Amino acid sequence: MTEMKIALVGNPNVGKSTLFNRLTGLRQKAGNYPGVTVEKKTGSFTFKHTKYQLTDLPGAYGIHPSSLDEEAVYAVLIDETHPNHPEMVVVIGDPFNLKRSVLFYQQIREMGLPAIFVVNMIDEAERAGLVIDTDKLEKLLSTKVVLTDARSGKGIEELKVALAAKHMHYEPIFQVPEEYGEAVAEAKTLLEMDNNYRAWLYLSQKHSNHLSAVYSNGIEEIKNTHQINRHSLQIRETMDRYAAIDMAFNGLMKDSSKEQASFTDKLDRFLTHPFWGYVTFFTLLLLIFQAIYTWSGPFMDGIENGFAWLATSAGELLPDGPINGLITDGIITGIGGIVIFIPQIAILFIFISLMEESGYMSRVVYLMDRWLRPFGLSGKSAVPLMSGAACAIPAVMSARTIENDKERLITILVTPFMTCSARLPIYIIIIGLIIPESQFLGFELQGWVLFGMYVLGLLAALGSAWLLKLLMKTNYKSFLIMEMPTYKYPVVRNVLLNVWDKTMGFVLGAGKIILAISIILWVLGSFGIGERFTNAEEIVRMENPALHGKDFENEVQSQRLEYSFLGVMGRSIEPLIEPLGYDWKMGIGLIASFAAREVFVSTMAIVYSLGDSDDELTIRSRMAGEINQNIGRPAYNFASGISLLLFYAFAMQCMSTIAIVRKETNSWKWTFIQLAFMTGFAYFAALLAYQLLK
Amino acid sequence: MVQHKSITSLKQGETGTIIGYGSDSIPIKVYEMGLLPGVVLTMKRLLPFNGPVCVRIKDNPNAIALRRSEADLILIESLSI
Repeated sequence: MTEMKIALVGNPNVGKSTLFNRLTGLRQKAGNYPGVTVEKKTGSFTFKHTKYQLTDLPGAYGIHPSSLDEEAVYAVLIDETHPNHPEMVVVIGDPFNLKRSVLFYQQIREMGLPAIFVVNMIDEAERAGLVIDTDKLEKLLSTKVVLTDARSGKGIEELKVALAAKHMHYEPIFQVPEEYGEAVAEAKTLLEMDNNYRAWLYLSQKHSNHLSAVYSNGIEEIKNTHQINRHSLQIRETMDRYAAIDMAFNGLMKDSSKEQASFTDKLDRFLTHPFWGYVTFFTLLLLIFQAIYTWSGPFMDGIENGFAWLATSAGELLPDGPINGLITDGIITGIGGIVIFIPQIAILFIFISLMEESGYMSRVVYLMDRWLRPFGLSGKSAVPLMSGAACAIPAVMSARTIENDKERLITILVTPFMTCSARLPIYIIIIGLIIPESQFLGFELQGWVLFGMYVLGLLAALGSAWLLKLLMKTNYKSFLIMEMPTYKYPVVRNVLLNVWDKTMGFVLGAGKIILAISIILWVLGSFGIGERFTNAEEIVRMENPALHGKDFENEVQSQRLEYSFLGVMGRSIEPLIEPLGYDWKMGIGLIASFAAREVFVSTMAIVYSLGDSDDELTIRSRMAGEINQNIGRPAYNFASGISLLLFYAFAMQCMSTIAIVRKETNSWKWTFIQLAFMTGFAYFAALLAYQLLK
Repeated sequence: MVQHKSITSLKQGETGTIIGYGSDSIPIKVYEMGLLPGVVLTMKRLLPFNGPVCVRIKDNPNAIALRRSEADLILIESLSI
């Protein structure tokens, strides 16, 4: 069996990801807003004894990169030593923007790469009255042209057959302009190659990272001697190519579509309206948060009761001893603490992927650009900021589509302030404990408070963005040029797969950490050294001779916890957190949260169940009944609850986010500044709130 | 008479033909998106408070959003006067 490496290349919004899903069956995201395929996706399939290794490259408008995403495309295609460098390229074209796609195709061909051309969304084009003369197009492109409709699967088999077709000879269209002839010749000599266009590309790029220093310095030298402005080279090439394509396209396409107010136009009249557009967007946001809160209720109750039952039955079935404790108090309680939040996370992702799939997300970018610009952000920052409401990790990665370096860095630095789904568990539990169940302006008061927490996260993000904008200098011009695709009915399969992927990714990713931390916590909480831990029963009997039965057992348990390794850790940070209104048990939760904030609830569940002999209580009722020994009041009272909410709203408590920020900014300095700023700010906000409210 | 106006002088619903650019330092993306001399486009939306504009190239169902600062550099000849 032979193997073949193939890259999928095309403009954004041409259905490239959907086609990739069709070919490989590998599940991944396909959306409508710029930069859905920010990650490099790979997959494979076998057809007629050949194994095809596919790489789905990010969407790009041409070979000349203007964002990090597009730089990745250029790097894979130009660098023959790149592990994903393809043996053949499949260029996916948009029938409504055929010239643009052909331009990109010709650039790839002239780099010396074999390629075939696919016209996707052919059904939509035919409905609109567009007819493409495939024979003429094949002659023009000197390759096989395949018509597909990735949504319905039409043309996929033909595409697979075409992959094995013999490559046709290709004659370059683009002629190096005379005034650059010498420079190109020198570059060819330097790099020891005979491809004019590759030499031209090297001269027209900002940098050629994959070349060795000798070559890239040589290229810089040639640029300097000939006073080459790479920007003019790119523009010259694009204009020349378009001129040639315009001539060649004569009679190639028949367009009988009438200029009539389409469905998209009618919708946009409302959805991008200077007043109603914003009203719709903010109403939609409020609706999403209400939905997260109310729809998830019954599911959460069910899961909560299910896990309480599971812990009780497991406790009865297993023989008494440390293993029993580890399984019931450690593992089951810990896992229950994460599974319970699946409903909310799934609901949030349903809305986000519907917005991406339908094309509405790019309208959000359009509407928000004006209002994000004063904060040093771009309209495209709206996408990371909104995705940040799900999880900061993919959100930080989606900032790659922002062309301007400064806007991109600011977006990455402030996105973790957005209320991610990991904060949701803490918010929901705390709000449930301290905010009364009542109605306000026709909605649940608790829902309003939750909405307020989201607003607070947004304000923190915008405020710090504004600060950063004042502090940072930039030489790059900022711009926004973005395509707004037609509205499409979301593909239900794509939405469901996306929700499934994201939810499972969150649960498994977070679940691993939570499981590990749960076991460590249980061990630290169940063992200890010193008189008061090992002889807890005798000491309690001596100090409180009046205690009997259950009360006695509870007292012993809580003393054991207090003097276990875990208790010692919690009590050692107590002086630091007492001014915020927390006791040492909550301190344990805070310590654990620095790995990932979502472990707070499961940690508290373990801490409280270790200090208690009753296994049947739910997490919520345990927390409600907990008394802060320092103040003699419920641990989760109004003041400490607000203080906790603020701490979790602002603090950087996620190892994975820290790691991804380091990777995406390529700077320890900014990663550290972000960590210190967020956590310091969280501490002072919580301190202020508790001291004012107590 | 050829008037050197920019895209932003178009009112909502008006149509014009691109004739050139007001500066050499326009992002390559403008060219790649197909906003080239000779192209006919219609103004779909101008957001107030100097917000971005949204134009549509003739026969292309997808629209293109641009900030005013870029749109101001694309010169047109108005058709609807």
